[in-house]
Amino acid sequence: MKFDNLYEELFYKSLRIRLIEKKIIELYPTDKIQSPVHLSIGQEAVAVGVCQELKTTDLIFPNYRGHAYYLARGGNLKEFFAEIYGKRTGCCRGKGGSMHLAGPEIGFMGASAIVASTIPHAVGAAMAARKLKKDQIIIAVFGDGATDEGVYHESLNFASLHKLPVIFVCENNDLAVHTHTSTRQAYKIFEHAAVYGLPTHYCEEGYDIIKVHEAFSPLVAEARITKLPQYIEIKTCRYLEHVGVNEDYDAGYRSVSEIEEWKRKDPLIIEKELIDKYQTTILAEIEDAVMFAENSPWPLLEDLLTDVI
Amino acid sequence: MNSSTDNNGLMKRFSGNILSYRESLFHAMDDALSINPHVVIMGQGVADHKGLFGTTLNLSSKYGTDRVFETPLAEEAMAGIALGASLNGLYPINTHLRVDFALCCMNQIVNLIAKYKYMSGGRFECPMLIRMVIGRSWGQGAQHSQSLQSFFSHVPGLMVLMPSRADSILNDYPYIINSYRGPVISIEHRLLYDVKFNIEQDSEYSSDKPLSSHLIRKGNDITIVATSIMVLEALRAAQYLLKNAGIECEVIDLNCVSHPDKEMIMNSVNKTGKLIIADTSWQAYGVCAEVCRIVCENSPNSLKAPVMTLGMQPATCPTAKTLEDYFYPNLQTLTDAIARIVCGKANHGIPLPDEHSMSDVYKKFKGPF
Ligand SMILES: Cc1ncc(C[n+]2csc(CCOP(=O)(O)OP(=O)(O)O)c2C)c(N)n1
Ligand SMILES: [Mg+2]
Repeated sequence: MKFDNLYEELFYKSLRIRLIEKKIIELYPTDKIQSPVHLSIGQEAVAVGVCQELKTTDLIFPNYRGHAYYLARGGNLKEFFAEIYGKRTGCCRGKGGSMHLAGPEIGFMGASAIVASTIPHAVGAAMAARKLKKDQIIIAVFGDGATDEGVYHESLNFASLHKLPVIFVCENNDLAVHTHTSTRQAYKIFEHAAVYGLPTHYCEEGYDIIKVHEAFSPLVAEARITKLPQYIEIKTCRYLEHVGVNEDYDAGYRSVSEIEEWKRKDPLIIEKELIDKYQTTILAEIEDAVMFAENSPWPLLEDLLTDVI
Repeated sequence: MNSSTDNNGLMKRFSGNILSYRESLFHAMDDALSINPHVVIMGQGVADHKGLFGTTLNLSSKYGTDRVFETPLAEEAMAGIALGASLNGLYPINTHLRVDFALCCMNQIVNLIAKYKYMSGGRFECPMLIRMVIGRSWGQGAQHSQSLQSFFSHVPGLMVLMPSRADSILNDYPYIINSYRGPVISIEHRLLYDVKFNIEQDSEYSSDKPLSSHLIRKGNDITIVATSIMVLEALRAAQYLLKNAGIECEVIDLNCVSHPDKEMIMNSVNKTGKLIIADTSWQAYGVCAEVCRIVCENSPNSLKAPVMTLGMQPATCPTAKTLEDYFYPNLQTLTDAIARIVCGKANHGIPLPDEHSMSDVYKKFKGPF
């Protein structure tokens, strides 16, 4: 697809992710998607901004809130829907589901539902890239909650100590499930990361695709040359409940006015003209992918014990 | 794939020699680094002046600190780093001076490494070797002595090995490192490190079946299924009982604890009708229980006597020598158990070996580690 400018391209990619996840919301009550989903609605700009300058040979290690990254990296939409439907044609043959998407062909290195667990994988992949002299950048993506975990700190230390080509991306939506960072953390995330001796950056406007792209592309450019570790924290906002497809503002753990403030600035809500321009094409693509998933076969008994060992 | 033939260079090279367990580990590591440019060894103490009990000694100077390197004391991250490195083309060998320390990376081993292939529907593979060492004797105490093979074997996705001899290492490690495409946990025994073995190229251990069990002594009266150091005790008990009571023991070295050769076990038990299981760990929910399950599910009628199991006493490992001696099974308790089953009574009248504790060889073990 051709775009008039970078903004439209980034907008299109973000809108596509939002509409895909909205389709999931629409389908959820039918119970055709029988697994937990952690949606990125509100956070799409981060994924799109981060993935924009990556090459297919670069690797990204995401987490369970990973739809946006799978899609931003160009993951196959049919295999995506088939996977969350639990079909044999899914990107993990139905064995992974929403929380464990995998796409080696797009450098999407497998998602995990254990908080912080893929951060060391990114560091290890970066170590391999260095030792095998691969021209690769490795990205670790995780939430603010992941920085509570010990393995996060162990991983930062090792990456910095060995000067590995990895960029750490913290998506700070200020929440781990229902608990705010202020209840959990005695530190400021990116300031604290700096103690490990790697350059740290902060992007406040995670709703703004251009700002995220502007903040992140210099890191990619830098990494291509220096192959050194870097860190960025990007502030963002999760619109929906932690897991599932609903809003839960009535639960009282977060301020509605704060979310509304984000929404007022969210291009995927306010840019009506661009939405109109692209949504028909995107919706058709989505229908096609959903049909593919619907018509795909289930995994069979013979699949149960394959790929165990 | 039958690759032991492609990977039996070490067996060939040392055939006819006498090698200690430690030396065989060293050669396996050295050989891996020299043959396979993707191999890296990472762990605590691998590049220091002791080189992981001598098994990686000077290898970091020989191959570079890029390939054999010290890690921070960060077991979980290092296991995860090994996984990531494996996904991106390296073959990591991650080491733990004690099994107990690996508990700090159970998350990575159980939740990630074991499941990476399955949850991606086979899109990813993570070949790697995780070596960990069981401590025993000279005051190892509660947290340097655990033998946790059942923890790892319980989880689908892991291959768990307990080499009992130098030949087992020479046969299996090259295959694991150069040909096998999944994660392997090898649980080595510290007390075996200085035990010497005759390496014979045509022994049961050089068979074309890497990662399997080995029938290492034939006999008609009883089957002993043993792991790790208990294999040596089983052989000594078998010898003693043949000499002193004419009892013929069949001994199976389980070797591959996670994937034992069930057919081998059943064939033997069908023949002898009597079974004793001697493991290095606690009996409950472990190897002893698992071997019983195999027999009960396949042919419970094959048993002519109740099964007996030997392992650590159901307590935390004590430090005091007197208590430690009670804690572990030994040649005497094993011999007694065999005699009871074969004779069908407790007062079997067979004189027991008076050696109460460990064998001469490994009694020599002087810590601290
Ligand atoms: C090790 C671990 N602890 C707890 C959980 C339960 N859990 C799932 S997601 C989550 C919140 C993580 O928050 P964050 O890292 O900020 O990511 P976000 O969900 O906000 O994107 C928690 C606690 C888990 N999956 N893994
Ligand atoms: Mg969060």
